Amino acid sequence: MILHTASEGVTFAKKLENDSAEFYEKLAQRSTGNAETLLSFAKENRKYVTQVESAYYGVITDAIEGCFAFNIDPDDYVLKTTVDDGADYTGALKQAVEIEETIIRFYTDAAEQSKSLMADVPRAFMLIARKRAGRLEKLGSLLEG
Amino acid sequence: MALLEEPIKEVRTLKNYIDGEWVESKGEVIDVVNPATYKTIARVPISTGEEMDAAVEAAKAAFPDWRRTTPVARARYLFRLKELLEENFEEVSRIQTQEHGKTIDESRGETRRGIENVEVACGIPTLMQGYYSEDIAHGIDEWVIPTPLGVFGIIGPFNFPFMIPLWSAPYAVATGNCVVVKPSSEVPNSQTRLAELVEEAGFPPGVWNMVHGGRSVVSSMLEHPDIVGITFVGSTPTGRDVIYKKCGETGKRVIAQCGAKNFMTIMPDCDVDRTVAAMMTSFFGNAGQRCLSAANAVIVGDDDTFYKNFVEKVIVQIKSIKIGYGLDESVQMGPVRDKEKKDRIIRYIESGIEQGAKLILDGRKDFSIAGDYPGVCFLGPTVFENVTPDMRIGSEEIFGPVMSIMRVKDLDEAISITNANAFGNGNSIFTSSGKSAREYQYNVTSGNVGINIGIVAPMAFFPFSGMKDSFYGVLHTQGREAVRFFTESKVVIQRWF
Repeated sequence: MILHTASEGVTFAKKLENDSAEFYEKLAQRSTGNAETLLSFAKENRKYVTQVESAYYGVITDAIEGCFAFNIDPDDYVLKTTVDDGADYTGALKQAVEIEETIIRFYTDAAEQSKSLMADVPRAFMLIARKRAGRLEKLGSLLEG
Repeated sequence: MALLEEPIKEVRTLKNYIDGEWVESKGEVIDVVNPATYKTIARVPISTGEEMDAAVEAAKAAFPDWRRTTPVARARYLFRLKELLEENFEEVSRIQTQEHGKTIDESRGETRRGIENVEVACGIPTLMQGYYSEDIAHGIDEWVIPTPLGVFGIIGPFNFPFMIPLWSAPYAVATGNCVVVKPSSEVPNSQTRLAELVEEAGFPPGVWNMVHGGRSVVSSMLEHPDIVGITFVGSTPTGRDVIYKKCGETGKRVIAQCGAKNFMTIMPDCDVDRTVAAMMTSFFGNAGQRCLSAANAVIVGDDDTFYKNFVEKVIVQIKSIKIGYGLDESVQMGPVRDKEKKDRIIRYIESGIEQGAKLILDGRKDFSIAGDYPGVCFLGPTVFENVTPDMRIGSEEIFGPVMSIMRVKDLDEAISITNANAFGNGNSIFTSSGKSAREYQYNVTSGNVGINIGIVAPMAFFPFSGMKDSFYGVLHTQGREAVRFFTESKVVIQRWF
């Protein structure tokens, strides 16, 4: 099912953030040395939810009057957020990298599609995508360490 | 997609808000029905004339102290109201969907536009400043003081239950007046919630009152000697023949924003994809129940290939519109407000067929409803071709999701048929030519003009204009014009010996 309305797009962004936050919280329980970093990711996710909501509520009139419509297929951004009991920690970190790459792709696509709106929405999406790119680096160093 | 939670969970009988108290009405009570589910969500009283009198008395009594409250202090009440509206943004929006039927995106848009008026009114210390001339003659100075007038009546329509009273009320109270708001009895929950937030914001008793009701309450307002002015949004027959006329007779100031029949002129050089996208929200947003909805699509030129391809694209897009309950986030068009309105729209569709227009999409049957809802108030989008300006569907306000396609030879003819219509509310042109756009904007008799904009809704800091049968009065709601409407110019000329 393709997501068209602004409301659907924002709800989907929130779902990605919340699902991946839960993933990091679970992963933190299994980590001995990196729990703090992983929990900080989960905390950041909640902040991103607020940022997306603020951008959306701030320009919602433009979304309506400017005949805006997303064209997002949620199947393109499926996250694997379950941590298998038997999975090793390195495997779970690789899973985290995939989650981040998927979410970055979502925000980049959503920013591109919402370029016709006032700057707030695409800017918020791109800002989160950029911050997540930094997170990928951190995950990379955790994998190396 | 799961439904968002409904904010109204139990059926309660609504009360009036008079002099800072929630007061039960002695009038008869009628049901308020959710047009999507067709379930009763509230009961609203049709208040008595005495109850309106009590509200006006309270407002009149509150006026002297409120007037003496400094503009800065009055603005602080509005700042607090703005904060509360932001905190309750989602609930207020969902109430609109639940009682009116519009989609949740549309309701949130309405909430935002309402709040923006509160934000603009927060600037009243600056907006209300007068002006001064020194030495208009030897040793004589002159200045003007905008002063509040007293009690204003604000009559809201059914199509924007939250936003439209906010085109007036924040400016009225910001300038030092007191108000009595009468919401539409079809959609009274939004204004009730707003009045609760007004109370929470701490406005002094009597400054902001709300009385539910119907025609008898409006009549009481119009006759009341202590109401100095009225703002009204609704149909042209009521606005012109009742509100404007009666205000003239009783010496009240008046803003009567009335009906519309909006023409969208489509030039062959337009950006086709973006024009078609704009047409979807313009014709079918709010299920066509807004005075800025486009009604007639006027396609310019004799290029049959362009015309055929354009109409095909329009139809493909229309068929993709998802219809259902607006609390389903994926829904793009909700029901119309009630069965009577649906029946009225159907009569227009029938008249179009009888008068020879070609029905290419029949909203009476060519649609499906997402979800298991009774079809009582639902209609699909309807499209007619070969419509002429003399047909009823081409000239009268339908106020529903009906698109009438016309063809004209050139821009002059498009402007000519637009101007020949009795209304002049929100007409627009889609073109890539600056010359065509300028010519259109210059010549069209329309209060609001769109250039590559489908819904010409002025922001809160611009007046919501209107011409011909779409508007009766002089000054408009919103922004600086509202500040002028709600104040009288007191001119002082001074000399000291």
